[in-house]
Amino acid sequence: MRSVVAARARWLVPCAVVGALALGIPEASRGADDPREWLQRMNQALATRNYDGTFFRLSEGRVETLRILHRVKSGRTTERLLSLDGSGREFIRNDGELTCYLPDQHTVLVEPRQDRGPFLGSLPQFGADVNEYYRIELLPATRVLGRPAQVIAVNPKDAYRFGYRLWLDERTAMPLKTQLCDASGQVIEQILFARLDMPDSIPDSALIPAVRTEGMRWVRQGPSHNLDQPTLSAFRSKELPPGFRLTDAGAQTINAGVPAAHLVYSDGLATVSVFVEEPPAQASAVAKQGAAPVPPPAPMQGLARVGSGFAFSTVIQGHQVTAVGEVPAKTVEFIADHVDAHDPH
Amino acid sequence: MSEQIREQISAFLDGELPASETELLLKRLARDAELREGFGRYALVGEAMRATPHSRITRGFAARINATIDGEPAVSSPIAAARARPMHWWRPIAGAAVAAGVAAVAVVALQQRAVTPPLRAAGVAPAVIVSSGAAGHDGPRLANQPKEPAQPYVVVPASATTSAPLPGARLTSYIFAHSRYSSVLGQRNVLSELLADPDEASRAGAGGAVVNDAALHQPVPQDVRSAQ
Repeated sequence: MRSVVAARARWLVPCAVVGALALGIPEASRGADDPREWLQRMNQALATRNYDGTFFRLSEGRVETLRILHRVKSGRTTERLLSLDGSGREFIRNDGELTCYLPDQHTVLVEPRQDRGPFLGSLPQFGADVNEYYRIELLPATRVLGRPAQVIAVNPKDAYRFGYRLWLDERTAMPLKTQLCDASGQVIEQILFARLDMPDSIPDSALIPAVRTEGMRWVRQGPSHNLDQPTLSAFRSKELPPGFRLTDAGAQTINAGVPAAHLVYSDGLATVSVFVEEPPAQASAVAKQGAAPVPPPAPMQGLARVGSGFAFSTVIQGHQVTAVGEVPAKTVEFIADHVDAHDPH
Repeated sequence: MSEQIREQISAFLDGELPASETELLLKRLARDAELREGFGRYALVGEAMRATPHSRITRGFAARINATIDGEPAVSSPIAAARARPMHWWRPIAGAAVAAGVAAVAVVALQQRAVTPPLRAAGVAPAVIVSSGAAGHDGPRLANQPKEPAQPYVVVPASATTSAPLPGARLTSYIFAHSRYSSVLGQRNVLSELLADPDEASRAGAGGAVVNDAALHQPVPQDVRSAQ
């Protein structure tokens, strides 16, 4: 573990080390002022510490106030993310399952999940492929929430991906403020903590949803292992924006039990999901074998904002194709537009 | 926004507001949607004033900031809006404060609609229209067909945006399924979006079309079980 080095780092860093210092420097000689060390420390803190914080999410002139609770107890992680602005919406993540309470829609969504790390965000390991498409640098230290903070920029090298700026608490490496930026450096979204406590323990009672679930509709979705849809598995994006590659492919049932291929493309940091659905006629026949016969959903076409990213839907060879990701619009469009059934032979 | 609140917010953003006062500010923000909007503008403007190397400050800067903080559209005509464009830092809040009237407000709604839009009968049409050529184009799109350059999504006439968005419940399913794979920073983004208060955007004057029960009448997804 290099965290000992990193712990010492905070005494050495304040001298405003700017520039591409992390680039081209051999691993062994990287040390105190390596922004990657800070990102690793942040990962570590987010995954292993207890915290209870209130933060603002600012995006497009809109502000939401959210609270996050994260507890690691006896090796089990429980996390709760809730809106404080009156919608009553909440997420609870326990090891293995994510539950989303949407009281205004009288719906609870449940998705089994692999343990993918905390809500609040950590970055994947920065491999060489990330270096090629992002420039990571340490900016002059500053203060956030009255605490000394290290500032790290993860700059995209082209317009197919977003970047991040992170203000990390010098003492704990927790991100006190993060910004999502486009390739020209404009801020698209900002997360800003108003309060962040790191208590030794968090009681069970603080991790129970406040939502009353009587009369709510429970919806389970998730990976499916027994889909017999060979036509779906033939679909791939034939051409990808620079740096993106297929990292996962599987079957998923979503949207009224309609089977869909789920393709995952990543550049090492940004991720785009592509869903390919059966044409409506076939899909509804499949759905009829299940419990609830439903009318086929109408085809979708177009671009929609999804938080700070985008979703783009189109129809290819009769199949509904939708790409979703925390990437610029042109990236989801590019990937979805190039989806095609490949020849398995 | 009162001077006192403004000072508090400013101190908070500079990390200089005592914890006790921060708590009070939080409580006020939690119950006052208007204040939250003001806070959002203030925070973004504050960011701009701390000036990134990309910032380009132009004439009338201070006046526009003040106008923005007070919630007045700083630039009220499309021509003026176009002139304001070179100010890079301004663009993030362009949708809320700069662009003309309805179009601007529609953007706030759209962002929301991506999650919980009303369900429209017409299924074939873009939620956020990138190019008018896409509307009503329901045939398969050739993979290599050259596309028109995307227009900025912030400048969408309200009438066009209310026609037929991507169905929200379907999109929510996609987002949810995607969040399992997305990088964890991105995951927080998409999940926070699902948590957003659906009323917020309609309060901003989005024509009320943001959320209605129609979203509930989506086809019922598989494996429905009743609550306890």
